[in-house]
Amino acid sequence: MAGERMALLRGTLDLLILKALAAGELHGLGVSRRVEQITRGTFTVPPGSLFPALHRLEEAGWLVSKWEASENNRRAKYYGLTKAGRKQLGEETAQWQRIALVIAQALEA
Amino acid sequence: MRAIARLRAAWRNLLYRDRVDRDLDDELAAVFDTAVEERVHAGVDLAEARRLTNLELGRKDSIATEVRQRRAGAGLDAFLQDARYGARVLRSNPIFTLTAALSLAIGIGATTTIFTIANGLLLRAAPGAADPDSLVDIVRAEKGRFGLSLSPYADYLEMRQRVSTLDSVYAYQLDLESLSLRQGGGAERVFAGIVTPNYFTALGVSAAAGRVFGEGDATEALVVLSHGFWTRRFNADPAIVGRAVHLKGRPYVVAGVAPEQFRGMTVIAPDLWLPISANLDSAKLIIGGRLKPGVTRAQAAAEVSAVGRTLGRDRRFPRDDEWTVTFSSPIPAILRGVAAAFLSLLMILVSLVLLIACANVAGILLARATARRREIAVRVAIGAGRARLVRQLLTESTMLFGLGGVVGVGLARVMTSLLLTLLPAFPVPISVAVSLDWRVLAFAAVLSFIAALLSGLAPALHASRADVVTALKDESQGASDRLRLRHAFVIAQVAFSVVLVIAAGLLGRALGRVAAVDQGFDPRGVEVVSVDLAMAGYGRGPGQQFARDLVERVRRLPGVEAATLADRVPGGPMQTEAVRERGQAPPAAPPVPASWNVVEPDYFRTLRIPIIAGRDFTAADRESAQPVAIVDESTARRLWPGEDAVGKFLPGAEPRLVIGVARDVKSAGGGRPTAVLVFYAPLQQRYSSQLTILARTTGGEHLASAIRTLVASMDPNLPILTTQMLEQRQTGPVVLQLRTAALVSGGVGLVGLLLASIGVYGVTTYAVVQRTREIGVRMTLGAQHGDVVRMVLRQGMSLVATGAAIGVLLAAGMSQVLRRLLYGVPTLDPVTFGGALLLFAAVGFAACYIPARRATRISAVEALRYQ
Repeated sequence: MAGERMALLRGTLDLLILKALAAGELHGLGVSRRVEQITRGTFTVPPGSLFPALHRLEEAGWLVSKWEASENNRRAKYYGLTKAGRKQLGEETAQWQRIALVIAQALEA
Repeated sequence: MRAIARLRAAWRNLLYRDRVDRDLDDELAAVFDTAVEERVHAGVDLAEARRLTNLELGRKDSIATEVRQRRAGAGLDAFLQDARYGARVLRSNPIFTLTAALSLAIGIGATTTIFTIANGLLLRAAPGAADPDSLVDIVRAEKGRFGLSLSPYADYLEMRQRVSTLDSVYAYQLDLESLSLRQGGGAERVFAGIVTPNYFTALGVSAAAGRVFGEGDATEALVVLSHGFWTRRFNADPAIVGRAVHLKGRPYVVAGVAPEQFRGMTVIAPDLWLPISANLDSAKLIIGGRLKPGVTRAQAAAEVSAVGRTLGRDRRFPRDDEWTVTFSSPIPAILRGVAAAFLSLLMILVSLVLLIACANVAGILLARATARRREIAVRVAIGAGRARLVRQLLTESTMLFGLGGVVGVGLARVMTSLLLTLLPAFPVPISVAVSLDWRVLAFAAVLSFIAALLSGLAPALHASRADVVTALKDESQGASDRLRLRHAFVIAQVAFSVVLVIAAGLLGRALGRVAAVDQGFDPRGVEVVSVDLAMAGYGRGPGQQFARDLVERVRRLPGVEAATLADRVPGGPMQTEAVRERGQAPPAAPPVPASWNVVEPDYFRTLRIPIIAGRDFTAADRESAQPVAIVDESTARRLWPGEDAVGKFLPGAEPRLVIGVARDVKSAGGGRPTAVLVFYAPLQQRYSSQLTILARTTGGEHLASAIRTLVASMDPNLPILTTQMLEQRQTGPVVLQLRTAALVSGGVGLVGLLLASIGVYGVTTYAVVQRTREIGVRMTLGAQHGDVVRMVLRQGMSLVATGAAIGVLLAAGMSQVLRRLLYGVPTLDPVTFGGALLLFAAVGFAACYIPARRATRISAVEALRYQ
């Protein structure tokens, strides 16, 4: 079950991360928890996949990071969406919805 | 957009690598600490919290590694790492690095040298013209004739008028005109290029002094000097522009001087240029043009082909020529095929050396991979993927080959200059411009890379297969595989070297054969000086008088044993005219080719050609006396079989009396064409203005300067054309090709032999090391030194024997190819093949014997302890 989840996640990980940060900035662990939250526990992202993805999205210019004090006054690296990132989120969401519709129709037929 | 961002990120990652890494570590540390603290807050104790967090999140190191591997610029980073590591490895083994790099450098250098020459001669236009890549040649192939043909002036005019895809169609004569030039002091012979008036402007060549030909210059008596001639003859004096020089007795005004780097469009470099005009029409032109911007060669070829077909139709006698367009090169298109074939042969020979060097290096790399298997196994254990390992090993070998390549290019420069200085003196001035342009560098780079892949791949693949456990336990694992590979490499090396050495031997034999042919006369100690009386304006009568005087005076020079005149040098190419055999009314029998040689008395004595019947010409055989002739043996047999030729009359219009029969004279490297009749006639009865003075000296002294002074004293306006010793004269394109090929294959053959012997030595040493234990056991069981030596020798020599056998087979095939390409090469010459085998047996034996002897010095006790 976990293996299947990984395979599916690879294509949608970026989308979920962007969505998780849509509401506001989070540090790495926070992103992972938020993804779990918004997918109602279906997807948990192991750090081995999460952090490479975060760095990749940052290199692409969709996320921006800075060091800030966290809840318990510790320094942590926080990620947030850039304007390009928000745009990308919108585009990918629309695309995903298109695909989902097509697949659903195909399965009904 | 995304790509740019990624590039920028990659740049940042590489430049500030340490900072980025530290940042990542801090980030991950913070994440962990946060998670731990949260648990602690929830009431879990510290140690347990840490344990749970580690379970949940995994190891920090592996996360960091994942991030680093997917980072922008990760590939390049890995490559740089590999390169740094590779450099360290190479530095720590200087002897290996040096020998490997050197043998590679020789292989790459030799191949690059041949390519440089091929590039300069065949692949690009001659230097000095503007935008050479857009220059093309318009060529035609006549139906029924092999290869391409030169074209007449009328064709040039039509092409110029009708072809629209080409700008400025020009033409020039391939052969240079040999003329006498007189200005101020004495006369000298110059070579003139005949070109259309738009030649220089079409090529974009502007004058270094004065001006070049313009459109209106077709009828003017103008000349453009080449820069070299201007410097040589007129000391680069700009005042010569506008003055007149006398060519063939007529005044021509010097219009200007060409720039230094322009020496004509072919390798044949004229001293000066004359415009085509009514006086100098030409039937043997090379037509060229420049592609209009945006036009491709294919489009131009299509148009030229169409125009060419209508050319034939316009005339009374239809021609069936194929016209097309090809790129321009210093070796003109009509000769490209021959030159390309010869250079390809040389290229194959030197490639063999490169292959040998590669096999050498591959063998050594394999051996070193064995030594490093522990290190490799450890790296595999800590998680390096096989691909990564192979990549790293390949990077190492690529660096090695890169080093070899760079040194090789440097060697190529030296070797190219060397090869060019070895060019013999040609009868016409030759200019070969070769330089290391981008094509050559690209060739060397690609070659090094391919060689690196070939050599490095097998050892790298093999090494990375290291099984961790057994490697760490230090067993000699995979030894038999490795040994087999190395054996294969050595056998290949020996085979290729054998081929090279046999090729060199065959070519040497061919050269010897060509030189040793008894041509029917004795060329030693004979000075040859040639003049053309027409250049000083002598007609028939005065010319004959002058010739008589000249030969008398030459005979009186000190040291001269005998002297004579002839219209050409013996043993050279024949010029024939058609003659009908007596009694045959045309068209009953086809005319036979006859070669007329015009000679002075004493010709046969000077050259030591025996007269086997009758007598030589004398002073009595004058213009006013009975026309006489001497025939050679074959001619006598052919015209009067079984009878005495002396006293008979020659076939043909004029009744010449045969007064003597001389022995046959053969041409260099060949025989005497059987169909040709050979006649000799006295100069006083059959005049030729082109004369060669042949003077035999008693002591072999050089008479050139004495004869020069003599001629100048008799007539300062008569230029000397060439001076040579007769022996030197006997070289032609055949000998040149043979000599070059023999030199090249001899050189690479030596190198190949050396490399192959190093290879045999290396693998035998390696085998001894591998079998140390076995040898120890054998010695303990009573084997003597002799037995050990024999054992090692047998293994080593079996490799040499296998390699030699394969090499001999390959060489037999190669000798067939050589025979087709070059004249006089023997096939399956037992001396050459046998000699080569003996040589390799000896060298191979020596290469095996040294390690074999060393094997005997292994102490049995140590060997048994050896792992």
